[in-house]
Parts: sequence; C-alpha cells; structure tokens
Amino acid sequence: MSAPRSAGHRPAAPRLDHHTLEKYENVWFGIAVIMSVLLFVTVLASFLSGTAPSLSGEGGHHITGVKNGRLDPGNFAATPFATPGLRHNADGSYEAFVIARAFQFEPAVLKVPVGQPVTIHVTSADVLHGYFIEGTNINATAIPGQVSSFTTTFRRPGTLNLVCNEYCGTGHHNMVSSVKVDVQEP
Amino acid sequence: MITSPLYSPHAARETPVISDAAYLASLKKVTQYYIVTAFLALLIGVLIGPLQALNYGGINVYDTPILKALLKSYYQGLSLHGVLNALVFTQFFISGWMLYLPARDLGMRINMKFAWFTYLLMTAGLLLAAVPLLTNNATLLYTFYPPMEGSPLFYIGAAVMVGSSLLVVGQVVAMWVAWKRANPGRVTPLVAFMCVATWMMWAVAALGIVIEVVFLLIPWSLGWVGGVDPLISKTLFWWTGHAIVYFWVLPAYIAWYAFLPHHAGGRIVSEPLVRLTFVMFLLNSTPVGLHHQYADPNISVAWKTMHMFLTFLVAIPSLLTAFSVGAALEDAARARGGRGLFGWMLRLPWGKPTFSAPVLAMVSFILGGAGGIVNASSAFAPVVHNTAWIPGHFHITVGTATTLTFMGISLWLIPHLTGKRMPSVRLASAAVWTWFVGMMVFALGMHWQGLVGVPRRALVSATAQSVYRDMPIQIPQMLTAISGMILLVSALLYFYVLFRMLLSRRLDDGEAASPLPYSEVISPAGQHLAGASALVRFTEPLLALWGVALLLVLLMYGPVLARLAANAELVPGWRLY
Ligand code: HEM
Ligand SMILES: [Cu+2]
Ligand SMILES: [Cu+2]
Repeated sequence: MSAPRSAGHRPAAPRLDHHTLEKYENVWFGIAVIMSVLLFVTVLASFLSGTAPSLSGEGGHHITGVKNGRLDPGNFAATPFATPGLRHNADGSYEAFVIARAFQFEPAVLKVPVGQPVTIHVTSADVLHGYFIEGTNINATAIPGQVSSFTTTFRRPGTLNLVCNEYCGTGHHNMVSSVKVDVQEP
Repeated sequence: MITSPLYSPHAARETPVISDAAYLASLKKVTQYYIVTAFLALLIGVLIGPLQALNYGGINVYDTPILKALLKSYYQGLSLHGVLNALVFTQFFISGWMLYLPARDLGMRINMKFAWFTYLLMTAGLLLAAVPLLTNNATLLYTFYPPMEGSPLFYIGAAVMVGSSLLVVGQVVAMWVAWKRANPGRVTPLVAFMCVATWMMWAVAALGIVIEVVFLLIPWSLGWVGGVDPLISKTLFWWTGHAIVYFWVLPAYIAWYAFLPHHAGGRIVSEPLVRLTFVMFLLNSTPVGLHHQYADPNISVAWKTMHMFLTFLVAIPSLLTAFSVGAALEDAARARGGRGLFGWMLRLPWGKPTFSAPVLAMVSFILGGAGGIVNASSAFAPVVHNTAWIPGHFHITVGTATTLTFMGISLWLIPHLTGKRMPSVRLASAAVWTWFVGMMVFALGMHWQGLVGVPRRALVSATAQSVYRDMPIQIPQMLTAISGMILLVSALLYFYVLFRMLLSRRLDDGEAASPLPYSEVISPAGQHLAGASALVRFTEPLLALWGVALLLVLLMYGPVLARLAANAELVPGWRLY
C-alpha cells in the first residue's frame, strides 16, 4: 500500500488497519469483559456485607390479610394497614405499616426506635408512590394492591424527611412527611 | 469471470447506483418527511425543557399567566417534554434514517406505497395521542404507569405510532432478505448490516410495550376490564424501556462508525469488530430491564441480580465502540499530519458542525455511560433512583449522544436529500458547541442535586414544605438554571439554521453536493463470505441471531412475568391530574 517516499519529506505515520489494530482490540475487549465482571462481583460483595438494602422478593411475608405480597387496596380492614404506624411485636421485633395515598403518608409522622432493626411495609391506596427517606438509601415503590417490605436499622436519632419520589398527580411535590428516630421506646 | 460493476473487488465498495430517478426522489422525500416531523416534535419538546431547568433552579415559572394559559400543570409540560423528545423525535428520525440507509446501501427497490403508508400511519398515531396530551387528558409522563389513567385515545395513538415502527422493521428486514437471495454468498455491507441488526433488536424490544398497551391498557382504559395490575404493566414497560435506549443510541453509533471518520477524513478500521458490537446489542439489549425495578416489590432479588449482570455485559459493546471510533479518528488525524500521543486531536476539524456534533456527542456518551453503570448497580441505585441524578444522566445520553448526533446528521442529510444548503456554518457550529456545553452544565447540576436527594419529576420549586429549601443545593440549582438558558439559546440557533435551510430554495444536486459519504469510508470485510473472517461469518446469519435474541428475552422475562401473572392483583384506575 504505502509507496516509498522521496527523501526530504517526513514520512507520514502509517495508516491503521485491521491487522495492526487487532492485537490492541483484543486486549481492550479483554479489559472490557474483566471490568464488567468485576463490577458485578463488587455489587455481590456489597450484598454480602449488607451495605446494600435489599427489598424482600415477596412483600409482607406472613402478614395477616396479605397473600403473595398482594392485598386489596380498597379494603385494608383485614390487614395491619388498617392502623398504620409502628408495632412492637411479642417477639421483640419492630414492624411499621405505612400507607401512601394522594398526597400524604399515613402515619403522618412515623416514629421508629434508634439502633433496632425495623421492618417497614409500604403499600398504596391509589396510584404508584415512592418511599424515599432523605439522606439514606431507603427507596421503594408503593404499589396499590402490593406490599413492599424491607428491614433497616436507623443508627442516629433525629428527624428524617420522607418524600414521595414517584409521580402521583398534581400534588406530588407536596407529598412530604417525616420519620422520627427516637432514643426512647416509641 | 464476470464481476458485477457494483462490487469492485478492490478498494472500498461503491454505493450501488439507483438509476430510477422517480423512485429515488420518492425515497428521499419520505425520509425527509420523517426527519422534519421528528424535528418539529423536538422543537416543541425542547422549548419546555428550560422551564423545567428553572424549576430545578428553584424558580417556579408555572404560575405566570402565559404558562397557565398554555399548560395545566408542570406535569402536563413534563409529559409533553418526555413523550415528544424521547418517544416521538427519536422514533421518527430513526425510522427515516434507518429506512433510507439500508435502501441506499443495498441499492434495493422498496415498495414506496408501503413506505408512505407507514409514515402516514405513524403520524396518525402521533396526532391521536397528541390530542389528550395537549388537553391534559393524558398527563401520565412518558412512562404512563397505571393505575394513573389517561384517555383511551392516548394509549391507542401510542400503540399505532409504536406499531408503525414495526412496519418499518418489516420493510427493512424484507429488503435485506431479498438482497441476500439475490446475492448468495455475499457479505452484507456494513451500513445495511448495522441497520438490520438494530431494527431486529427493536422488534424484540418493542414487544413488551406493545403487549402492555394493546392487551392491558387499551381494554382497561376503555372500561372493558375492571382493573389493571400495575406491576405487570411496569415490568412490560421496562422490557421495552431499557432496550429503547439502545434503539436511540445505535442509530447514532451507525453515524459514528460509518460517517464520522469520513467527516474527519478517515475510515473505519475494523469492520468485523463493528459487526460483533451490533450482534452483542441485538442479543443483550433487552433481557436487562429489571434493573429499572430494584425498588419494586414482589420480584425476586435473584432475577433482578441476573438482569444486573446482563446489564453490565451490555457495557462491553459500547466500550468497543469507543475504541474503534477513537482509532478511526486517530487514523484520520494522523493522515492529516497529526502527531503525538494526544497532539493528533488538534488536527480534527473542530469547526465543522457535521464533525463536531457527533464527536461531542460521543464525549458526552462516555460520561453518560459511566453514570449508567452506577444506575444499573443495585448497590448504588437506591441512592439515585428517581432523583434528579437520573435526568442528569439521560440528557447526556439520549439528550446529547443521540440528539446532538441527529442534529449533526441533519446538517448534511437535509442538503443530501433536498439539494438545499446549510445557511451558516458558524451558526450551526455555535448551536452544536452551546448544546454540548449546556448539557454538560445541566448534567453537573442535576447529578449533584440528585446526590443530595432532590427527586426527579417534581415541581420542587413550589413545594410547600421546606425540605428542598433546607438542602445545600444552591450551587447546583444555579448551574441547572444557567444550563437551561444556554440550552434555550442553543436550541434557537439550531432551529433557526434548520428552518432557514428547509425553507430555502433548492440549489444543488444533493447527490453531488452532499453525497452519502459511506461508500468511500467503509472498510470492506471482503465481498464474499467464503473468504471472510470467522467473525464476519458468525455475525452474518442475522435471522438466526434474531431468534436467539428472542429466546434470551423469553428466558429472562418468562418466569418473572409468569409469576406476576399468577399473583395478579387488578386495581382500579385514577385520574389525579
Ligand atoms: C433545551 C434542552 C433541554 C432541557 C433544558 C431539558 C430539561 C429537562 C429537565 C429539567 C427535566 C427534568 C424534569 C423533571 O424530572 O421534573 C427533563 C426531563 C426529561 N427530558 Fe429534557 N431537557 C432538554 C432536552 C431534552 C432532549 C433533547 C431530550 C431527549 C431527546 C429530553 C428528554 C427528557 C426526558 C425523557 C425527560 C423525563 C421526563 C419524565 O421524567 O417524565 N430532554 N428535561
Ligand atoms: Cu408522588
Ligand atoms: Cu435501563
């Protein structure tokens, strides 16, 4: 391809072609694959170390009135969602029941204990809502007819903002309430 | 031995000549209609953007009388912005672009009546959906998650519009199959290959949304069934919703691979790898959508994690693209005398908007891709999910990588199609650079606000509570507001150039003045399969690979959807807007 050049001219750098590039490409391909796999492994590691919150695969497991994570959004009466808020169970565990509806959360302020694992169950009475606690990685969708459940431990006392982060209508941006982390037994 | 004049064995392949002038004129015209419709949608969509940027700058302009007269709410504007930009602009542009390219690349004759019918049907779908959107009867945002309910017209229009894109798929695939029959043993030319693979990917991807809208939402919105399962719908939506981002970005890749080196004076250096890239996208784009649902209940963590793994794998073909296109550009720059490890970059034609637009789009995509990996990781996702970080992310992917590339394409494609001239290189160049700078600033502001915890899709500037006023976000708010103004200027410059060009008189023969450049830049993989490399032979049977792609999706979605269907909980619709 390249013709010999007359002396005196600076020879142009050789043009790239598939053969000169193939080696580099393969190396790059290998790096890309390794990077992707490493990414995956690090996420798995964060699962194991518990730094990633894990929404349970089936919401509201073993709650009365909730079957396969589903319930009737028009009738909470047969479920603990009839009285939203925190419960201290007989076995010492804490569970909280939260209803999202346009455009507020029930209870208006959720009180939780500091330093104790709490399982929070969230559902919606109408459309999709979001359950996002500012400054944490608690982020779950509230779906009508379904329960989202996750367990978390609040480590510091104080008041956290809870905002709806899924579009739910004209009042969406005002759907803000709070979670109060108490030192005393609530 | 007779060699066809169309396939000269040496040097680069020539574009096959289409000798029927009337046919070519009609093909160009339908392409132009698609492209112009796309940009009209973008014009309306983009004008709403700066208002939203002001909202995220802490300034609520939605109570001013003019806006109150035009928009019922922030959310109606946002629905228009999302639908027009992300769904309408992209689909129309891509339908024109990826119908024209393979037809020219293969030199095939397509049925023009069918092509026009498809265009008209797609436009009819758009107009149907536009009525409820404009009258605040479908303020659902572009994701239209039920049980928020819109007018049936919206769902029907959307189904017709998206369904029409499948007719384009059919026409392009049929064209390619006919070419294969007529040219046994030949390697599909690269541009046609990339288009066919992308359309096949889209057909697999679109199934989710088509099933959702046709079988769940339309009957429900018409009142034929009593309710809808929101989670099944959302899952079907994201079957399409993630892969759609590749449907947006692959047509830009085609431009980067096939035309960008040309605009810089170079050529593609490694064709087999390009083919591999597109096959990886065909196989791997769709079975990854659960990464949008980490926050959703009642889907097992194991399935979400499998989708996450596959998502990370889709990063590989993008990394390959960065390498190949980068190499092609370096090649071009060195051919112009560029030297040094990085010094060659100076030799690239930065003042040429047809060049700077796609290159800046690529730069933007490198950053956007990196952010996308954060979003896809289920460890990070809960921190950024549904925060302002997300629009920060996709304005440098679809909003720049795709949109800026398409803008750059329009600057030479419209002259090619119409024989009209780009009125001002300087203004066009200014539009391109301000778009890039504006979007970079926008992305910085929005990613930053998202990390602090500002949610997306919210009229945060008018929130009654003090939650956002108490956050340390003054700097990123300012950045977002400023970026909105930069982008407004950029958009006005671009649309001025575009409309002056469209409204000017025809001066040239487009074929000569702005030729389809790929014929010269393509590096031939060899014309014959028999002598081609293993990678070329592996990637050529696209129909079989299409089947594998569908199978993979069924494997990765079948069990998830079956379980959801078994536990379906239908709920009534609501209109809260
Ligand atoms: C002038 C340029 C633009 C500006 C200033 C702008 C601004 C914004 C802002 C601030 C948001 C966030 C709104 C919210 O979450 O409440 C947004 C959302 C969005 N933008 Fe843009 N944008 C522009 C152009 C584009 C382009 C070119 C595209 C795509 C081609 C695009 C697609 C979207 C989409 C899909 C959404 C999400 C809508 C939703 O959440 O439902 N935008 N835009
Ligand atoms: Cu909301
Ligand atoms: Cu995605």
